[in-house]
Amino acid sequence: MIQTIAWVVSLFFMLVVTAVFGIVALKSTKKSDYTPIKKKWYKARTFYGAALIVLLLAVSIYTLRDLPYNQPVYSADEEPVVVDVEALQFGWEISQTEFKVGEPIEFHVTSQDVNHGFGIYDEDMNILTQTQAMPEYTNEVYITFDEPGTYEILCMEYCGLAHHLMTAELTVTE
Amino acid sequence: MESVKSRNNVVVSYLIAGGLIILVMIIFGILMLLSQGGVLDLQPAAFYQILTIHGTGMVGASAFAAAGIMAYFLSKYVDLSKNVLMTNLVFFLIGVVMVIIGVFSFEYASSWTFLYPLPQLSANAWGTIGALLYLFGMLILGVGFLLFYLDAGRAIIKNYGSLAKGLGWDVISGKKAEADAPSSTVVASTMVVIINVTALTVGAAVLIMNAINVINPAFTVDPLLAKNLTYAFGHIFANSIIYMGVIAVYEVLQQYTKRTWAVNKVFLIAWTMSTVFTLLIYTHHLLMDSVMPTWMLIMGQALSHANGLPVLVVTAYGALMIVYKSGIKWDVGSGLIFMSMFGWVAGVVPAIVDATIVVNQVMHNTKWVPGHFHMYMALGACAMIFGFMYYLAKQDSSIKTNAADKFAFVGYAVSIAALSGSFLVSGVLSTPRRWATHIPEWMGPALFGGVIGVLAFISVAIFVIHFIRFIRIRSKTVPGTYKKEQLA
Repeated sequence: MIQTIAWVVSLFFMLVVTAVFGIVALKSTKKSDYTPIKKKWYKARTFYGAALIVLLLAVSIYTLRDLPYNQPVYSADEEPVVVDVEALQFGWEISQTEFKVGEPIEFHVTSQDVNHGFGIYDEDMNILTQTQAMPEYTNEVYITFDEPGTYEILCMEYCGLAHHLMTAELTVTE
Repeated sequence: MESVKSRNNVVVSYLIAGGLIILVMIIFGILMLLSQGGVLDLQPAAFYQILTIHGTGMVGASAFAAAGIMAYFLSKYVDLSKNVLMTNLVFFLIGVVMVIIGVFSFEYASSWTFLYPLPQLSANAWGTIGALLYLFGMLILGVGFLLFYLDAGRAIIKNYGSLAKGLGWDVISGKKAEADAPSSTVVASTMVVIINVTALTVGAAVLIMNAINVINPAFTVDPLLAKNLTYAFGHIFANSIIYMGVIAVYEVLQQYTKRTWAVNKVFLIAWTMSTVFTLLIYTHHLLMDSVMPTWMLIMGQALSHANGLPVLVVTAYGALMIVYKSGIKWDVGSGLIFMSMFGWVAGVVPAIVDATIVVNQVMHNTKWVPGHFHMYMALGACAMIFGFMYYLAKQDSSIKTNAADKFAFVGYAVSIAALSGSFLVSGVLSTPRRWATHIPEWMGPALFGGVIGVLAFISVAIFVIHFIRFIRIRSKTVPGTYKKEQLA
């Protein structure tokens, strides 16, 4: 979902950029006095710049409202499952790998040796979330699985020659 | 006073070294993509060695060639030391040889990020000698660059009084008229001096920390500190390439359009913003480290978004304005220079998207990342370098471009846009970056990228051949002593 939004937004603005550069390139060989061009387009820049600042500010504020670093607010009868994850060249030691749909899970992720990345993929191999696995530090990642199935853990930080073999599975049932 | 030819010889050396290395690095890029695409059987050890040399080589060679651009134009305003330029060249070549030997003879493969403590903890894939050759090779290379920027800073301070004045702060504050502002070349060079002296000092520190850890594993470093230092160095240094390259955009487009690129307060404020933001936004590489102070990660996102403003509102806008209805007579050089601004702006879009924390959660370390940086590094920064190579050839010789050069221009634009697009699509498909093998669902875009990469290779080969032809013509037409006026 997020990937699709990112792709569509990027594609849209990249096409706009392409169109603007294309139009200017097409009109570049015609010659006009520069002074009125500067006057007109400096004025336009004031509006364009202001609009861009407002847009970027709005996007920043909107997307910063809910950060993945924040522990979710659990209801009174809800207790998260805390899972300890330790990465090592080239595998995962995970304290629990079977979960129920709908139960909130907190993965506490660290590493025995070098930097690794803890990426959770669904059955269609779309990444759902991730965090870094670092020696001496514990990063936390929060997730609640909505669908039953087998989820894959992939290493998301280059860690040595068997980096691409560093996978594991999580099973989620109803 | 050194002769201009002597100065240009050094610049030409920077460009040809950079151009040739970039060309070879493209081959490595193609090999990796074809392997990921399932049509080439690269062993993982070979893949990760190639990955290491590709990333290190591309950034190092582009930065070196871009330093040549900066030296060429900045030396019109200040006196740079030729000895320092030569020292940088020698250090660069020594560093390159050490890195190549470390990677290919001693199987060192930490990728360019050499994230502590990977150089020492390789799971027996490589040994101490390979790691030290790479780390000290990078250090020597970095020291050469550092000397170059220190000398550029010295020369700017000597002529303009201070780095603050090089950035035009006295004009921003109203103490000096806009008409007396430093040129765009001096402003950009000052910015690069500030950010790269910082980056290279930080880089040297983390390289030495890693080297000591390799020699004596009992010496340890805080891994989070090391990660911050590594990305501060890597991010700033890699970004500086485009800020050095853009000097060619200012100078060349002014000459071609016969218009003045005004250095006014807005321009100067934009460059000060770029200076500050470039130094601070490296934390967007650590958005998936929740142990980082949250304010630093929020700053990483907010300032990364803000960092789009100077280029979108001032630099690219200025390039569009100066070209618009200018009656410009396009050639391959000016075409590449104009295209480079497109590549920069287009590449900024997916970069801003990726710097958004909620997006980074699913895009971090996927192929979306090389997608955006291939766009603004290859279609942006490298197009500036190749454009400048054509410009210099035209300035310094009677060489003419031919149909092959025009084909290469189109081929380069199409291939890099398609290559970047294939990386972005891979990112949308959640394909992790730096993986030696791909599952079948991920292979299509990789294979496409590998095939289209061949067109990029052919195009860059033509650019480089043109430049070699220029060097040969130049050496024939201007033997021995040389008259200054025959040069740009």
